[in-house]
Amino acid sequence: MRYTAVVKEMNVLFSGQIMVVDEDARVIQAIPIGGSRILQNRTEQLLQNITGVDRTVPILLLTFIGTEDTTQFLPVNFSMGIPVENWRLILGPTPLKGNIGHFPTNESSNEVVIGASLADQCNWTVGKRITIGSHELMIAGVLDTNMALLNRCIVMPLKLAHELYPTYSESVNIITIKPIQGFSQENLADAIEQRVEHVKALTEDEREDMIQPILAQVEIWNIGLQTVIFLMSLILVMTVTVMSVSERRRDFATLDAIGAPLSYVFRVVIFETSLIGVLGGILGIVFGSLAALVLASLYTNIPLAMFFPTFYEIIPPFYMFEIFLAVVFVCCLGGIIPAINATRMRIAEVLRAEY
Amino acid sequence: MKIKTTDLTKTYHLGSSEITAVNKVNLEINEAIFIAIVGPSGSGKSTLLNLIGLNDYPTFGKIFVDDADVSLLSSRERRKIRLFRMGFVFQTFNLLPTLNALENVELPMALAIKPQKEQREKALRLLEAVGLSNRLFHRPKELSIGEMQRVAIARALANNPEIIIADEPTGELDSKTAKEIISLLFDINRKEKTTVVVATHDEKIVETADTIYAIQDGNLRLEG
Repeated sequence: MRYTAVVKEMNVLFSGQIMVVDEDARVIQAIPIGGSRILQNRTEQLLQNITGVDRTVPILLLTFIGTEDTTQFLPVNFSMGIPVENWRLILGPTPLKGNIGHFPTNESSNEVVIGASLADQCNWTVGKRITIGSHELMIAGVLDTNMALLNRCIVMPLKLAHELYPTYSESVNIITIKPIQGFSQENLADAIEQRVEHVKALTEDEREDMIQPILAQVEIWNIGLQTVIFLMSLILVMTVTVMSVSERRRDFATLDAIGAPLSYVFRVVIFETSLIGVLGGILGIVFGSLAALVLASLYTNIPLAMFFPTFYEIIPPFYMFEIFLAVVFVCCLGGIIPAINATRMRIAEVLRAEY
Repeated sequence: MKIKTTDLTKTYHLGSSEITAVNKVNLEINEAIFIAIVGPSGSGKSTLLNLIGLNDYPTFGKIFVDDADVSLLSSRERRKIRLFRMGFVFQTFNLLPTLNALENVELPMALAIKPQKEQREKALRLLEAVGLSNRLFHRPKELSIGEMQRVAIARALANNPEIIIADEPTGELDSKTAKEIISLLFDINRKEKTTVVVATHDEKIVETADTIYAIQDGNLRLEG
């Protein structure tokens, strides 16, 4: 769930905008993978001449996949180069942590802002100087955000990014386009693909559509996993309860002998399994939530403490309630066969079996 | 309650062999009588009591309760008769281990959906009558075997039964406790006019009983 949520949230980064990338690039929400570079100036000029384009923002977004820890689902970190005048267009209202520091204002600056998770992990603070390649950079601010991508990002002026990554000199891998108000994203994207060679223009919906098959597969896995867990839990509850009923067959037979209605015996067993469900549900939600956060922290490299303020966004109370009901339901269901067994205990048979 | 059986027979199949546990038993149990059924182990005493107590269905023959044929009554109807008109005492007490003495006695009244206040008052009275007013909140494992059997007798009396069916009630007890339990059953029979049917080996019970039957290989005969 967290994984799909992270993938979905990336699209928020370029919300309402068209992403222009190389025609061979695969785009996972906001991140282009593969494909060639786009020549920045020439392509931007072509794009700006197309009717319906309000504003273009060239971006160099590079990902560095962790090689030491192969269990990570997400890249270890990102570098993002943006023209300084476009900070707010890309980062939106993202504040700086503790309102300390500032966004770089000069294209020639060596200042960068970094994601909070990266800052925590590397113990980087505002004002600290760090070295990437042969360049010394200064941390001007720490982004206060819950977005996984921005949390692991070093955001810098585009010019600085070009200096740091010389293979991308004069080029970018994304140009975002804001259409003129009221202009259809779809029509504009079609026009871009007709007028500019070797690029593809992806609307917000198209980016969503591209990710859908991946998300659908994740969902199928989720459903499969849930089904297996459901069946295993059902069998487990049933087995334990069958054993428990079997051990107490004399008690159930006694109830029958003194005239207890079948419904009473049935309810006793179902009540017991429901109680197991209630206790198991509460403990499961507490420990399961903690385990989910620990795993999310391990997979995303975001410190555990950063998940707690948004705990109820990651695992919404309604979702917890659903899980609780599902656990109680499974336990009740698992109790049915043992309960029927309990109603069939007869004192004559039990005593005969004992002597 | 008057119980009568005609040619009551119960057979079991063990593999290819057929065992007749109760063979064509004709028995009449009148109101307020104390009956002892004696016989060695495996002679059919418990099977006969299970049939009379409507806890088992006969293979052949009929059981009449107050002249009404109950042999083929539905299990629901039989359960009602057991709950409201009969009380059971088992050799191994069969108290519910998770309930204390008071709750064990209240149980049949709860099943009969009697008011909670009435349940509590009656259970207290019964436990006092069997001499356990100081052991109300003890669970079965905290009671001696004699005390457990007293709780079982109190439980059997909870719904004012017309008959108490006791299957070797002194089988697990020492002689002193057994004597107390016999005396208790005898008092119930005499004071409450409750019919008592006891399957036993115990000579003292046999001496106390109004009518004695002997059972051997499923065949019942009147002894005295």
